[in-house]
Amino acid sequence: MNSAASRFGLAPNHQRARGELRVSFRQREGRTVLDGLRQEGCLKARFPRPERGAWTSMVMLNTSGGVAGGDSLATAIGVADGASVTVTGQTAERFYRALPTGGAAQLRNVLTVGARAAAEWLPQETILFDRCALDRRLDVSLGSDAWFLGIEALVFGRAAMGETVKQATVRDTVRVTRESALVLHDAVRLDGAVEALLGRAAVMRGTRGLATILLASQDAETRLDTLREALAPCDAEWGASAWNGLLVARILATDGARLRKAMIAGIQVLRATRPMPRVWLC
Amino acid sequence: MTDAAHLLRLLAWLSPAFPTGGYAYSHGLEWAVQVGDVRDGDTLRDWLHDVLAHGSGRNDAILLRHAHCACDDKDTLAKIAALASAAVPGRERRNETRAQGAAFMLASAPWRGGLSRPDDLPYPVAVGALAGTHGVAEDDAAIAYLHGFTSNLISAAVRLVPLGQSVGLTVLAALEPTILRVANGTRTAALDDIGGCVFRADIASLRHETQYTRLFRS
Repeated sequence: MNSAASRFGLAPNHQRARGELRVSFRQREGRTVLDGLRQEGCLKARFPRPERGAWTSMVMLNTSGGVAGGDSLATAIGVADGASVTVTGQTAERFYRALPTGGAAQLRNVLTVGARAAAEWLPQETILFDRCALDRRLDVSLGSDAWFLGIEALVFGRAAMGETVKQATVRDTVRVTRESALVLHDAVRLDGAVEALLGRAAVMRGTRGLATILLASQDAETRLDTLREALAPCDAEWGASAWNGLLVARILATDGARLRKAMIAGIQVLRATRPMPRVWLC
Repeated sequence: MTDAAHLLRLLAWLSPAFPTGGYAYSHGLEWAVQVGDVRDGDTLRDWLHDVLAHGSGRNDAILLRHAHCACDDKDTLAKIAALASAAVPGRERRNETRAQGAAFMLASAPWRGGLSRPDDLPYPVAVGALAGTHGVAEDDAAIAYLHGFTSNLISAAVRLVPLGQSVGLTVLAALEPTILRVANGTRTAALDDIGGCVFRADIASLRHETQYTRLFRS
Protein backbone atom coordinates (compact mmCIF):
# COMPACT_ATOMS: atom_id res chain seq x y z
CA MET A 1 0.00 0.00 0.00
CA ASN A 2 1.36 3.41 -0.77
CA SER A 3 2.42 5.55 2.14
CA ALA A 4 0.45 8.69 1.30
CA ALA A 5 -2.80 6.73 1.12
CA SER A 6 -2.22 4.96 4.41
CA ARG A 7 -1.15 8.14 6.19
CA PHE A 8 -4.39 9.84 5.24
CA GLY A 9 -6.45 6.77 5.93
CA LEU A 10 -7.51 6.38 2.34
CA ALA A 11 -7.97 3.08 0.65
CA PRO A 12 -5.78 2.86 -2.45
CA ASN A 13 -8.96 2.88 -4.50
CA HIS A 14 -10.54 5.86 -2.81
CA GLN A 15 -13.49 7.46 -4.46
CA ARG A 16 -12.82 8.78 -7.94
CA ALA A 17 -15.03 10.99 -9.98
CA ARG A 18 -16.62 9.76 -13.17
CA GLY A 19 -18.50 11.92 -15.55
CA GLU A 20 -19.88 11.68 -19.03
CA LEU A 21 -21.59 14.35 -21.03
CA ARG A 22 -23.06 13.88 -24.50
CA VAL A 23 -24.73 16.80 -26.19
CA SER A 24 -25.86 17.43 -29.74
CA PHE A 25 -27.15 20.48 -31.48
CA ARG A 26 -28.90 20.92 -34.78
CA GLN A 27 -30.23 23.62 -37.02
CA ARG A 28 -34.00 24.20 -37.01
CA GLU A 29 -35.66 27.04 -38.90
CA GLY A 30 -32.50 29.09 -38.94
CA ARG A 31 -31.78 28.62 -35.24
CA THR A 32 -29.49 26.23 -33.41
CA VAL A 33 -31.36 24.06 -30.93
CA LEU A 34 -30.51 21.30 -28.49
CA ASP A 35 -31.02 17.92 -30.12
CA GLY A 36 -29.83 15.45 -27.50
CA LEU A 37 -28.47 15.52 -23.95
CA ARG A 38 -27.12 12.82 -21.68
CA GLN A 39 -25.42 13.66 -18.38
CA GLU A 40 -23.87 11.11 -16.10
CA GLY A 41 -21.83 11.42 -12.92
CA CYS A 42 -20.23 14.74 -12.10
CA LEU A 43 -20.46 16.38 -15.55
CA LYS A 44 -23.43 18.61 -16.23
CA ALA A 45 -24.40 21.07 -18.93
CA ARG A 46 -26.37 24.29 -18.58
CA PHE A 47 -27.92 26.22 -21.45
CA PRO A 48 -28.16 29.89 -20.55
CA ARG A 49 -30.52 32.11 -22.48
CA PRO A 50 -28.40 33.57 -25.29
CA GLU A 51 -27.38 37.18 -24.94
CA ARG A 52 -28.05 39.61 -27.74
CA GLY A 53 -25.79 38.77 -30.65
CA ALA A 54 -24.53 35.53 -29.10
CA TRP A 55 -24.79 32.00 -30.47
CA THR A 56 -26.65 29.21 -28.74
CA SER A 57 -24.42 28.44 -25.81
CA MET A 58 -23.62 25.68 -23.42
CA VAL A 59 -21.80 25.89 -20.09
CA MET A 60 -20.05 22.76 -18.82
CA LEU A 61 -19.68 22.19 -15.13
CA ASN A 62 -17.99 19.61 -12.98
CA THR A 63 -19.96 19.15 -9.77
CA SER A 64 -17.10 17.30 -8.07
CA GLY A 65 -15.41 20.70 -7.60
CA GLY A 66 -12.10 19.75 -9.18
CA VAL A 67 -10.19 16.92 -10.75
CA ALA A 68 -7.93 14.49 -8.91
CA GLY A 69 -5.75 11.64 -10.11
CA GLY A 70 -7.75 8.70 -11.39
CA ASP A 71 -10.80 10.76 -12.29
CA SER A 72 -12.31 9.97 -15.66
CA LEU A 73 -14.31 12.57 -17.54
CA ALA A 74 -15.61 12.40 -21.09
CA THR A 75 -17.48 14.99 -23.08
CA ALA A 76 -18.78 14.57 -26.61
CA ILE A 77 -20.43 17.45 -28.40
CA GLY A 78 -21.94 17.24 -31.85
CA VAL A 79 -22.80 20.32 -33.88
CA ALA A 80 -24.81 19.28 -36.91
CA ASP A 81 -24.54 20.82 -40.40
CA GLY A 82 -25.14 24.55 -40.40
CA ALA A 83 -25.52 24.95 -36.61
CA SER A 84 -23.47 27.39 -34.45
CA VAL A 85 -22.61 26.80 -30.79
CA THR A 86 -20.43 28.38 -28.11
CA VAL A 87 -19.20 26.01 -25.41
CA THR A 88 -17.61 27.29 -22.23
CA GLY A 89 -16.92 26.21 -18.65
CA GLN A 90 -18.57 27.43 -15.45
CA THR A 91 -15.26 28.00 -13.65
CA ALA A 92 -11.57 27.42 -14.07
CA GLU A 93 -10.95 23.68 -13.83
CA ARG A 94 -8.64 22.66 -10.97
CA PHE A 95 -6.31 19.68 -11.04
CA TYR A 96 -5.38 18.57 -7.54
CA ARG A 97 -2.59 16.39 -6.30
CA ALA A 98 -2.68 12.82 -7.55
CA LEU A 99 -1.76 9.94 -5.27
CA PRO A 100 1.41 8.21 -6.42
CA THR A 101 -0.51 5.04 -7.31
CA GLY A 102 -3.67 6.74 -8.49
CA GLY A 103 -2.80 7.33 -12.13
CA ALA A 104 -3.49 10.46 -14.12
CA ALA A 105 -6.89 12.08 -14.42
CA GLN A 106 -8.24 11.17 -17.85
CA LEU A 107 -10.22 13.76 -19.78
CA ARG A 108 -11.50 13.00 -23.23
CA ASN A 109 -13.26 15.77 -25.11
CA VAL A 110 -14.63 15.22 -28.57
CA LEU A 111 -16.13 17.95 -30.68
CA THR A 112 -17.68 17.10 -34.01
CA VAL A 113 -18.52 20.07 -36.20
CA GLY A 114 -20.60 19.37 -39.30
CA ALA A 115 -20.50 20.92 -42.75
CA ARG A 116 -20.84 24.74 -42.65
CA ALA A 117 -21.30 24.47 -38.88
CA ALA A 118 -19.42 26.62 -36.38
CA ALA A 119 -18.24 25.87 -32.87
CA GLU A 120 -16.40 27.76 -30.17
CA TRP A 121 -14.59 25.78 -27.48
CA LEU A 122 -13.88 28.35 -24.77
CA PRO A 123 -13.34 26.62 -21.44
CA GLN A 124 -11.80 28.80 -18.77
CA GLU A 125 -8.21 28.24 -17.72
CA THR A 126 -7.05 25.04 -16.07
CA ILE A 127 -5.25 25.54 -12.76
CA LEU A 128 -2.63 22.97 -11.89
CA PHE A 129 -1.66 22.13 -8.31
CA ASP A 130 1.55 20.54 -7.10
CA ARG A 131 1.87 16.84 -7.98
CA CYS A 132 -1.14 16.77 -10.25
CA ALA A 133 -1.29 14.21 -13.04
CA LEU A 134 -3.35 15.17 -16.06
CA ASP A 135 -3.98 13.36 -19.32
CA ARG A 136 -6.33 15.47 -21.40
CA ARG A 137 -7.23 15.25 -25.03
CA LEU A 138 -9.44 17.35 -27.29
CA ASP A 139 -10.34 15.85 -30.64
CA VAL A 140 -11.98 18.25 -33.05
CA SER A 141 -13.36 16.90 -36.34
CA LEU A 142 -14.39 19.49 -38.84
CA GLY A 143 -16.67 18.92 -41.80
CA SER A 144 -16.36 20.84 -45.05
CA ASP A 145 -16.40 24.62 -44.55
CA ALA A 146 -16.73 24.17 -40.78
CA TRP A 147 -15.48 27.00 -38.57
CA PHE A 148 -13.80 26.42 -35.20
CA LEU A 149 -12.31 28.67 -32.54
CA GLY A 150 -10.72 27.01 -29.52
CA ILE A 151 -8.62 27.88 -26.53
CA GLU A 152 -6.69 25.83 -23.98
CA ALA A 153 -4.95 27.46 -21.04
CA LEU A 154 -2.82 26.06 -18.24
CA VAL A 155 -1.82 27.96 -15.10
CA PHE A 156 0.96 26.37 -13.05
CA GLY A 157 -0.04 27.39 -9.52
CA ARG A 158 -1.78 30.61 -8.54
CA ALA A 159 1.00 33.10 -7.91
CA ALA A 160 -1.19 35.33 -5.73
CA MET A 161 -1.91 32.38 -3.42
CA GLY A 162 1.80 31.55 -3.10
CA GLU A 163 1.28 28.22 -4.83
CA THR A 164 4.00 26.56 -6.83
CA VAL A 165 3.92 23.40 -8.89
CA LYS A 166 7.11 21.49 -8.15
CA GLN A 167 6.16 18.14 -9.62
CA ALA A 168 3.54 17.32 -12.22
CA THR A 169 2.70 15.07 -15.11
CA VAL A 170 0.90 16.85 -17.91
CA ARG A 171 -0.28 15.45 -21.23
CA ASP A 172 -2.55 17.92 -22.95
CA THR A 173 -3.24 17.22 -26.61
CA VAL A 174 -5.37 18.97 -29.18
CA ARG A 175 -5.94 17.22 -32.48
CA VAL A 176 -7.87 18.74 -35.35
CA THR A 177 -8.99 16.92 -38.47
CA ARG A 178 -10.63 18.55 -41.47
CA GLU A 179 -12.75 16.16 -43.53
CA SER A 180 -10.87 13.32 -41.81
CA ALA A 181 -7.37 14.63 -42.68
CA LEU A 182 -5.17 15.51 -39.71
CA VAL A 183 -4.27 19.21 -39.81
CA LEU A 184 -3.06 19.92 -36.28
CA HIS A 185 -1.53 17.87 -33.50
CA ASP A 186 -0.58 20.16 -30.64
CA ALA A 187 0.65 18.21 -27.63
CA VAL A 188 1.90 19.68 -24.35
CA ARG A 189 4.01 17.16 -22.53
CA LEU A 190 5.70 17.86 -19.19
CA ASP A 191 7.03 15.50 -16.56
CA GLY A 192 8.71 15.31 -13.21
CA ALA A 193 10.43 18.31 -11.64
CA VAL A 194 8.51 20.85 -13.66
CA GLU A 195 9.38 23.88 -11.53
CA ALA A 196 12.98 23.71 -12.73
CA LEU A 197 11.91 22.90 -16.26
CA LEU A 198 9.48 25.84 -16.48
CA GLY A 199 12.28 28.17 -15.42
CA ARG A 200 14.38 27.40 -18.49
CA ALA A 201 14.70 29.93 -21.30
CA ALA A 202 13.37 27.68 -24.08
CA VAL A 203 10.45 26.48 -21.95
CA MET A 204 8.66 29.29 -20.02
CA ARG A 205 11.49 31.30 -18.41
CA GLY A 206 9.62 31.27 -15.11
CA THR A 207 6.22 32.40 -16.37
CA ARG A 208 3.26 30.41 -15.04
CA GLY A 209 0.50 30.81 -17.59
CA LEU A 210 0.35 29.19 -21.01
CA ALA A 211 -2.49 29.56 -23.51
CA THR A 212 -3.07 28.45 -27.06
CA ILE A 213 -5.61 30.05 -29.35
CA LEU A 214 -6.61 28.11 -32.42
CA LEU A 215 -8.79 29.19 -35.31
CA ALA A 216 -9.68 26.84 -38.14
CA SER A 217 -11.38 28.78 -40.88
CA GLN A 218 -11.11 29.35 -44.59
CA ASP A 219 -10.05 32.94 -43.91
CA ALA A 220 -7.61 32.08 -41.09
CA GLU A 221 -4.59 33.56 -42.87
CA THR A 222 -6.30 36.89 -43.36
CA ARG A 223 -6.96 37.19 -39.59
CA LEU A 224 -3.31 36.88 -38.58
CA ASP A 225 -2.47 40.60 -38.61
CA THR A 226 -5.63 41.44 -36.66
CA LEU A 227 -4.75 38.89 -33.99
CA ARG A 228 -1.18 40.15 -33.74
CA GLU A 229 -2.41 43.73 -33.33
CA ALA A 230 -4.80 42.63 -30.57
CA LEU A 231 -2.07 40.80 -28.66
CA ALA A 232 0.61 43.48 -29.12
CA PRO A 233 -0.37 45.69 -26.15
CA CYS A 234 -0.85 42.73 -23.76
CA ASP A 235 1.44 42.14 -20.81
CA ALA A 236 2.36 38.72 -22.16
CA GLU A 237 4.84 37.04 -24.44
CA TRP A 238 3.27 35.59 -27.56
CA GLY A 239 3.72 34.43 -31.11
CA ALA A 240 1.21 33.75 -33.86
CA SER A 241 1.22 32.12 -37.25
CA ALA A 242 -1.24 31.07 -39.93
CA TRP A 243 -1.06 28.44 -42.61
CA ASN A 244 -3.33 26.06 -44.45
CA GLY A 245 -6.60 27.44 -43.04
CA LEU A 246 -5.29 27.48 -39.45
CA LEU A 247 -4.35 30.34 -37.16
CA VAL A 248 -2.45 29.51 -33.99
CA ALA A 249 -1.22 31.76 -31.21
CA ARG A 250 0.83 30.72 -28.21
CA ILE A 251 0.75 33.04 -25.18
CA LEU A 252 2.83 33.07 -22.00
CA ALA A 253 2.11 35.31 -19.01
CA THR A 254 3.47 35.64 -15.50
CA ASP A 255 0.13 34.82 -13.85
CA GLY A 256 -3.44 33.76 -14.50
CA ALA A 257 -4.87 37.28 -14.52
CA ARG A 258 -2.50 38.56 -17.21
CA LEU A 259 -2.98 35.37 -19.19
CA ARG A 260 -6.76 35.78 -19.10
CA LYS A 261 -6.54 39.39 -20.30
CA ALA A 262 -4.37 38.36 -23.24
CA MET A 263 -6.64 35.41 -24.09
CA ILE A 264 -9.72 37.62 -24.10
CA ALA A 265 -7.98 40.23 -26.25
CA GLY A 266 -6.93 37.52 -28.70
CA ILE A 267 -10.19 35.63 -29.02
CA GLN A 268 -12.43 38.69 -29.06
CA VAL A 269 -10.99 39.97 -32.34
CA LEU A 270 -11.69 36.58 -33.90
CA ARG A 271 -15.35 36.49 -32.70
CA ALA A 272 -16.88 39.35 -34.71
CA THR A 273 -19.20 41.21 -32.32
CA ARG A 274 -20.31 38.27 -30.19
CA PRO A 275 -20.01 39.10 -26.49
CA MET A 276 -17.69 37.03 -24.27
CA PRO A 277 -19.68 34.33 -22.46
CA ARG A 278 -20.89 35.74 -19.11
CA VAL A 279 -18.98 33.15 -17.06
CA TRP A 280 -15.75 34.63 -18.42
CA LEU A 281 -16.53 38.05 -17.02
CA CYS A 282 -17.23 37.17 -13.36
CA MET B 1 25.46 -5.41 -46.67
CA THR B 2 28.24 -4.60 -44.26
CA ASP B 3 27.96 -2.14 -41.39
CA ALA B 4 30.70 -0.15 -43.06
CA ALA B 5 28.53 0.36 -46.12
CA HIS B 6 25.68 1.57 -43.90
CA LEU B 7 27.97 3.97 -42.12
CA LEU B 8 29.14 5.31 -45.46
CA ARG B 9 25.55 6.09 -46.48
CA LEU B 10 24.63 7.77 -43.21
CA LEU B 11 27.75 9.92 -43.50
CA ALA B 12 26.64 10.98 -46.97
CA TRP B 13 22.94 11.54 -46.27
CA LEU B 14 23.43 13.50 -43.06
CA SER B 15 26.54 15.39 -44.04
CA PRO B 16 26.22 19.20 -44.04
CA ALA B 17 27.20 18.92 -47.73
CA PHE B 18 24.08 16.91 -48.57
CA PRO B 19 21.84 19.43 -50.37
CA THR B 20 18.80 19.61 -48.09
CA GLY B 21 19.21 23.37 -47.67
CA GLY B 22 19.46 23.01 -43.89
CA TYR B 23 21.82 25.99 -43.67
CA ALA B 24 18.88 28.28 -44.49
CA TYR B 25 16.89 27.41 -41.35
CA SER B 26 17.54 28.52 -37.78
CA HIS B 27 14.50 26.88 -36.11
CA GLY B 28 13.72 30.18 -34.36
CA LEU B 29 17.30 30.73 -33.15
CA GLU B 30 17.54 33.94 -35.14
CA TRP B 31 14.82 35.46 -32.94
CA ALA B 32 16.26 33.95 -29.76
CA VAL B 33 19.60 35.57 -30.57
CA GLN B 34 18.03 38.93 -31.34
CA VAL B 35 16.20 39.11 -28.00
CA GLY B 36 19.22 37.84 -26.05
CA ASP B 37 17.93 34.42 -25.00
CA VAL B 38 20.86 32.88 -26.84
CA ARG B 39 24.01 35.01 -26.48
CA ASP B 40 26.97 32.71 -25.67
CA GLY B 41 28.01 29.08 -25.53
CA ASP B 42 26.20 28.32 -22.26
CA THR B 43 22.86 29.80 -23.30
CA LEU B 44 23.12 28.10 -26.70
CA ARG B 45 23.82 24.74 -25.05
CA ASP B 46 20.85 25.08 -22.68
CA TRP B 47 18.50 26.19 -25.47
CA LEU B 48 19.50 23.34 -27.79
CA HIS B 49 19.43 20.82 -24.95
CA ASP B 50 15.78 21.66 -24.35
CA VAL B 51 14.86 21.68 -28.04
CA LEU B 52 16.46 18.23 -28.33
CA ALA B 53 15.03 16.73 -25.14
CA HIS B 54 11.63 18.45 -24.93
CA GLY B 55 10.95 19.63 -28.47
CA SER B 56 11.49 18.81 -32.11
CA GLY B 57 14.68 16.78 -31.54
CA ARG B 58 12.76 14.16 -29.61
CA ASN B 59 9.71 14.37 -31.87
CA ASP B 60 11.76 14.04 -35.04
CA ALA B 61 13.52 10.99 -33.58
CA ILE B 62 10.14 9.37 -32.89
CA LEU B 63 8.93 10.17 -36.42
CA LEU B 64 12.17 8.88 -37.95
CA ARG B 65 11.94 5.61 -36.03
CA HIS B 66 8.35 4.99 -37.06
CA ALA B 67 9.13 5.85 -40.69
CA HIS B 68 12.05 3.41 -40.53
CA CYS B 69 9.68 0.59 -39.47
CA ALA B 70 7.09 1.58 -42.08
CA CYS B 71 9.52 2.08 -44.98
CA ASP B 72 7.70 -0.50 -47.13
CA ASP B 73 4.20 0.61 -46.20
CA LYS B 74 3.09 3.62 -48.21
CA ASP B 75 -0.16 4.18 -46.30
CA THR B 76 1.49 4.16 -42.89
CA LEU B 77 4.26 6.43 -44.17
CA ALA B 78 1.62 8.88 -45.41
CA LYS B 79 0.04 8.90 -41.94
CA ILE B 80 3.39 9.52 -40.26
CA ALA B 81 4.07 12.30 -42.77
CA ALA B 82 0.69 13.92 -41.99
CA LEU B 83 1.43 13.80 -38.27
CA ALA B 84 4.90 15.30 -38.85
CA SER B 85 3.34 18.24 -40.70
CA ALA B 86 0.52 18.65 -38.18
CA ALA B 87 2.81 18.64 -35.13
CA VAL B 88 4.88 21.71 -36.05
CA PRO B 89 4.04 24.97 -34.27
CA GLY B 90 3.89 27.41 -37.16
CA ARG B 91 4.24 28.20 -40.84
CA GLU B 92 8.02 28.59 -40.99
CA ARG B 93 8.78 25.44 -39.02
CA ARG B 94 6.35 23.56 -41.25
CA ASN B 95 8.21 24.83 -44.32
CA GLU B 96 11.50 23.94 -42.66
CA THR B 97 10.66 20.27 -42.22
CA ARG B 98 8.73 19.89 -45.49
CA ALA B 99 11.18 21.71 -47.75
CA GLN B 100 14.16 19.85 -46.28
CA GLY B 101 12.26 16.58 -46.70
CA ALA B 102 11.50 17.33 -50.35
CA ALA B 103 15.14 18.34 -50.97
CA PHE B 104 16.34 15.18 -49.23
CA MET B 105 14.10 13.01 -51.43
CA LEU B 106 15.47 14.69 -54.54
CA ALA B 107 19.10 14.50 -53.43
CA SER B 108 18.86 10.86 -52.36
CA ALA B 109 17.64 9.70 -55.79
CA PRO B 110 20.95 7.93 -56.55
CA TRP B 111 20.36 5.68 -53.52
CA ARG B 112 16.71 5.08 -54.22
CA GLY B 113 17.02 3.62 -57.69
CA GLY B 114 13.59 3.65 -59.30
CA LEU B 115 11.83 3.62 -55.93
CA SER B 116 8.90 5.96 -56.03
CA ARG B 117 7.68 7.68 -52.89
CA PRO B 118 5.23 10.47 -52.15
CA ASP B 119 7.08 13.73 -52.64
CA ASP B 120 5.98 15.42 -49.47
CA LEU B 121 7.65 13.38 -46.75
CA PRO B 122 8.85 15.76 -44.03
CA TYR B 123 12.56 15.58 -43.33
CA PRO B 124 12.75 13.06 -40.43
CA VAL B 125 10.20 10.82 -42.17
CA ALA B 126 12.17 10.94 -45.43
CA VAL B 127 15.43 10.06 -43.63
CA GLY B 128 13.82 7.27 -41.61
CA ALA B 129 12.15 5.72 -44.64
CA LEU B 130 15.34 5.76 -46.73
CA ALA B 131 17.41 4.32 -43.87
CA GLY B 132 14.82 1.58 -43.37
CA THR B 133 14.77 0.71 -47.07
CA HIS B 134 18.56 0.32 -47.04
CA GLY B 135 18.65 -1.69 -43.83
CA VAL B 136 20.58 1.03 -42.02
CA ALA B 137 20.10 0.46 -38.28
CA GLU B 138 17.30 2.56 -36.80
CA ASP B 139 19.37 3.62 -33.78
CA ASP B 140 22.26 4.74 -35.98
CA ALA B 141 19.94 6.71 -38.24
CA ALA B 142 18.32 8.43 -35.26
CA ILE B 143 21.68 9.36 -33.73
CA ALA B 144 23.04 10.62 -37.05
CA TYR B 145 19.89 12.67 -37.66
CA LEU B 146 19.99 14.27 -34.21
CA HIS B 147 23.67 15.01 -34.64
CA GLY B 148 23.01 16.67 -38.00
CA PHE B 149 20.12 18.67 -36.53
CA THR B 150 22.27 19.85 -33.62
CA SER B 151 25.30 20.72 -35.76
CA ASN B 152 23.17 22.66 -38.17
CA LEU B 153 21.66 24.81 -35.43
CA ILE B 154 25.04 25.36 -33.79
CA SER B 155 26.37 26.51 -37.14
CA ALA B 156 23.44 28.94 -37.42
CA ALA B 157 24.16 30.29 -33.94
CA VAL B 158 27.88 30.64 -34.65
CA ARG B 159 26.95 32.99 -37.51
CA LEU B 160 24.15 34.78 -35.66
CA VAL B 161 25.53 35.55 -32.18
CA PRO B 162 28.35 35.43 -33.46
CA LEU B 163 30.43 32.80 -31.69
CA GLY B 164 33.91 31.44 -32.36
CA GLN B 165 34.13 28.06 -34.05
CA SER B 166 35.70 26.61 -30.90
CA VAL B 167 32.73 27.73 -28.79
CA GLY B 168 30.37 26.04 -31.23
CA LEU B 169 32.37 22.82 -31.09
CA THR B 170 32.43 22.96 -27.28
CA VAL B 171 28.62 23.13 -27.34
CA LEU B 172 28.45 20.21 -29.77
CA ALA B 173 30.69 18.12 -27.51
CA ALA B 174 28.62 19.05 -24.46
CA LEU B 175 25.41 17.97 -26.20
CA GLU B 176 26.64 14.48 -27.11
CA PRO B 177 25.08 12.90 -23.98
CA THR B 178 21.79 14.67 -24.75
CA ILE B 179 21.78 13.36 -28.32
CA LEU B 180 22.38 9.81 -27.11
CA ARG B 181 19.79 10.11 -24.35
CA VAL B 182 17.13 11.37 -26.76
CA ALA B 183 17.98 8.62 -29.26
CA ASN B 184 17.75 5.94 -26.55
CA GLY B 185 14.68 7.45 -24.94
CA THR B 186 12.67 7.34 -28.16
CA ARG B 187 13.40 3.68 -28.95
CA THR B 188 10.02 2.41 -27.75
CA ALA B 189 8.05 5.66 -28.11
CA ALA B 190 4.66 5.56 -29.80
CA LEU B 191 3.49 8.23 -32.24
CA ASP B 192 1.11 9.33 -29.48
CA ASP B 193 4.13 10.25 -27.36
CA ILE B 194 4.89 13.18 -29.65
CA GLY B 195 4.67 16.47 -27.79
CA GLY B 196 6.80 18.84 -25.81
CA CYS B 197 7.15 21.94 -23.72
CA VAL B 198 9.66 24.29 -25.39
CA PHE B 199 7.01 26.97 -25.69
CA ARG B 200 9.48 29.85 -25.90
CA ALA B 201 11.45 28.10 -28.64
CA ASP B 202 8.13 27.72 -30.49
CA ILE B 203 7.27 31.36 -29.89
CA ALA B 204 10.74 32.30 -31.19
CA SER B 205 9.96 30.61 -34.51
CA LEU B 206 6.56 32.36 -34.64
CA ARG B 207 8.10 35.77 -33.90
CA HIS B 208 10.71 35.16 -36.54
CA GLU B 209 8.00 35.63 -39.18
CA THR B 210 7.89 39.35 -38.41
CA GLN B 211 11.55 39.87 -37.45
CA TYR B 212 12.87 43.01 -39.14
CA THR B 213 16.13 41.71 -40.58
CA ARG B 214 16.40 38.03 -41.32
CA LEU B 215 19.20 35.88 -42.66
CA PHE B 216 17.31 32.61 -42.22
CA ARG B 217 14.01 31.18 -43.42
CA SER B 218 12.95 30.07 -39.94
